[in-house]
Amino acid sequence: MSDKISYLDVCAECVEKAVRLGAEWCDVSAGAARDISVTIEKSGIKTADAGQGEDVAIRVFVKGGMGYAVVSGRDRHDIDSTVERAVALAKEATPDPDFKRLPSPQPAAEVEGLFDDRIAGMSVEEVVRIAVANIEAAKAMEPEVNLSGHVSISVGEGALASSAGVRLESRGTEIDADIEALVKRGSDTGYFYDFDFGRHVADCRLEAVSASAVTGARRFLGARRIHSGRMTLVLGPLAAYGFLGGIVGAANAESIQRGRSYLCGKVGEKIASKHLTIVDNGLMPRGVRSGAHDGEGTRRRPLVVVENGGLVSLLHNSYTAGKACAESTGHGTHSGGIAPTNLRPALGPRPAAEIIKEVKEGIYLESGEIRADPASGDISASIDFGFYVKDGEILYPVESAMMGGNILDLLTRLDAVSSDARLEPGILMPTLRIQDVQIAGTE
Amino acid sequence: MEDLARTIADEAKARGAAFADVRILHRRSESIMVQDGRADKLSAYTDRGIGVRVLVGRCWGFASADSLERSRAEKCVDDALALARASEAFVSDPAMVAAVEPVEAEDFREAEIPSAAMPVKEKIARCLEYEHAGRAAGGQAIVNSIVSYADGSREEILANTAGTVVRTAVSRAVASCMMVASDGKTLQRGLEHRGIVGGAELLRQTEPEAFGEQAAKKALALLAAKPAPAGRFTVIFHPSITGLLVHEALGHNAEADAVWAGQSILEGRLGETLAAPGVSIYDDSTLPGEFGSYAYDSEGAASRRRTIIDNGQLVGFLHSLETAAKFKTDPTGSGRAESYDCRPIVRMSNTFMGRGTVPIDEMIRGVDRGIYLMDGHWGYVFVQKGQFICHAGQARMIERGRLGEPLRDVSISSMTLDTLKKIDAVGDDFEMKMPGMCGKEGQTAPTDCGGPHVRVGDVVVGGHNIE
Repeated sequence: MSDKISYLDVCAECVEKAVRLGAEWCDVSAGAARDISVTIEKSGIKTADAGQGEDVAIRVFVKGGMGYAVVSGRDRHDIDSTVERAVALAKEATPDPDFKRLPSPQPAAEVEGLFDDRIAGMSVEEVVRIAVANIEAAKAMEPEVNLSGHVSISVGEGALASSAGVRLESRGTEIDADIEALVKRGSDTGYFYDFDFGRHVADCRLEAVSASAVTGARRFLGARRIHSGRMTLVLGPLAAYGFLGGIVGAANAESIQRGRSYLCGKVGEKIASKHLTIVDNGLMPRGVRSGAHDGEGTRRRPLVVVENGGLVSLLHNSYTAGKACAESTGHGTHSGGIAPTNLRPALGPRPAAEIIKEVKEGIYLESGEIRADPASGDISASIDFGFYVKDGEILYPVESAMMGGNILDLLTRLDAVSSDARLEPGILMPTLRIQDVQIAGTE
Repeated sequence: MEDLARTIADEAKARGAAFADVRILHRRSESIMVQDGRADKLSAYTDRGIGVRVLVGRCWGFASADSLERSRAEKCVDDALALARASEAFVSDPAMVAAVEPVEAEDFREAEIPSAAMPVKEKIARCLEYEHAGRAAGGQAIVNSIVSYADGSREEILANTAGTVVRTAVSRAVASCMMVASDGKTLQRGLEHRGIVGGAELLRQTEPEAFGEQAAKKALALLAAKPAPAGRFTVIFHPSITGLLVHEALGHNAEADAVWAGQSILEGRLGETLAAPGVSIYDDSTLPGEFGSYAYDSEGAASRRRTIIDNGQLVGFLHSLETAAKFKTDPTGSGRAESYDCRPIVRMSNTFMGRGTVPIDEMIRGVDRGIYLMDGHWGYVFVQKGQFICHAGQARMIERGRLGEPLRDVSISSMTLDTLKKIDAVGDDFEMKMPGMCGKEGQTAPTDCGGPHVRVGDVVVGGHNIE
């Protein structure tokens, strides 16, 4: 960047040009990312890739109608054309009286630890070394293991400027190792994965990921069919994280204002048992989903979404907040969407081991998507990585089973959240227990 | 640009690459979103850049830049060579490339109505017609409606050190419609999708009655539908579900990179009978106008029809230049890259089951108690375990050989090889209308899938109550 104008200046120039061309409101984000990714296949290195890219995204409103245009690179002519295109599209869009305004400048929050000089200075050789350490650790445990996955780093910087006077700059780093392990015993196959990610190398156990993937794969050897019935469902940390993420994602104000969410009309009402409290906090120090502001320049803040089972807040961007005469909660994306940040469920009084010990008959779901239909809340999902539990003991992995129900029914039967949790930077992943869930097996 | 690609490939070779390919890509698209009577979000995307892939000794290196400046392209060569050299000592499975005859070719597929030839206003007006048709059919029950349309072009230049130079240009257009209906107690969604290789002619070809109105009718029907029962049933797949079966359950397992990496249940099974007699499955990127079609892949290999299952027998996989070398066979033109900053990987195109002989009525008559799954929504697969999951938006009970009450929101989970063997009837009909973006290793590729109705015995259905 040293020999070029700053991203903030690029953004400010684009805003100025868009306003000159007729934009009533405009915000522009610009930035760059540099990535290195090393791919593991067949327990060796397959390829090493690097990429470097910049882009500029221009959002323009004319009478509330939105034109949005994105261009890669830093070619001045391309950027000018893109500004013109965004303005032209906004003029073609249908006026939208529900659009009120873009966010005004706000005092910036301080979020510690979003950038790690160590990651920014990492060489390819260092990234390769982490991948090789994972391969060696896995082979030491299981010489015939078939390991695949990636180790990658990303270093980014960016800026945001708007016609409302917002002028913000940010930068961040990320490092990630995701490893899949396949273990065979004759015709039996055990498969699992693990990952670790963070904004600082020091926050991760990058070289230990393959060991937990291999341990997981071994546990999934010997899968058996189970019978159908109503049982207890225990969601381990990975499964619980996806499940809770779906609920917070459904608390998206746009979906509710538009009348297409199973949470319509539920604000202020009980949607779950008293055991469930979820906070979304985009200001967690070193958090993987943290940032001082959202994609529109609104200062982030912790938001209690579900409290003791009641839906108390929705996630807003500036559009939905304006429509509801409310304040944006700082969950806006630059393209006009709404996205959750770091999820922090409130922990319960007892550890996961105790919660599982009380299960008479059930399924422990280590990982897997329990995806609800966003409108009806109906769930018809596969038990992808589950174990059969009997009299408090996790007995064996489950083959070809499914579960069904409605998410609001399941949430009322949630009767425990563990006191211990998997910790990822900024994120808490506890264990959840839900009673009386319909399981379809093949035995 | 062609000269730049050739020069950079030559430079990589001169500096020690045993093989190199250079791709220059330019993509443009525009999209319209109409929601609740207003086209209030219009978008445009452009990206352009270069990707350089090198094979050095035993390892691949790949680098990309979002610029076509000579200096940036040369930096990509530096980086790609350095990346490969840094990794080479840790390769367990040496990289290789099939020796193929060099190709010099170009293929420019003009859309019947290029994006720029239809004014945005006209596109908006057509999207509003779709929405209006849906709202009119659904009446007061429709609480939210979204129609989206996008069209775009992709121009690609590929040059490699074997002497291949291929220039292609292709346009695609997609439209989708979602109608959300409420009866005051529940919300249900009706979805419709269309996608073609082509341009804005999609909007001329798609009639409001067959699109917006159809989505609304689906949503209304779901309001009256019951949750599916849970358990094991004989099921009949609508062609959209057959499409998910052949794409998710079989197609991903037939991608030769997964097979070679020991990640597919089809490893070592070439020549075996894996499906019931009468079952043949193909992947064909030459079908005119179909969403997954293309002339050359991102490695310069010509498009073709690939037979995966022939009358029950596994006869072939989908290959890139690398997997073709490893399997000592010919490339099948299946090496696709999403953009300039992605390596080509083995992908499907239009994947389908061939037509059979059994009429759907006869198929239904043969079921005492079962479920007819329709309206394929989504699916995923664990190739390592051979397990796949498909989700149907709509279904009907089958009772004593007749279609019964409507059901909603049904998923099935099954093991690929079990399911293919349990197919006991293949329909005499055919439909391929599942255009979508298939995800793999962080990349997406336009694909389509379909086939005839098929009947499968003993499949696990994830419903709400055991009967």
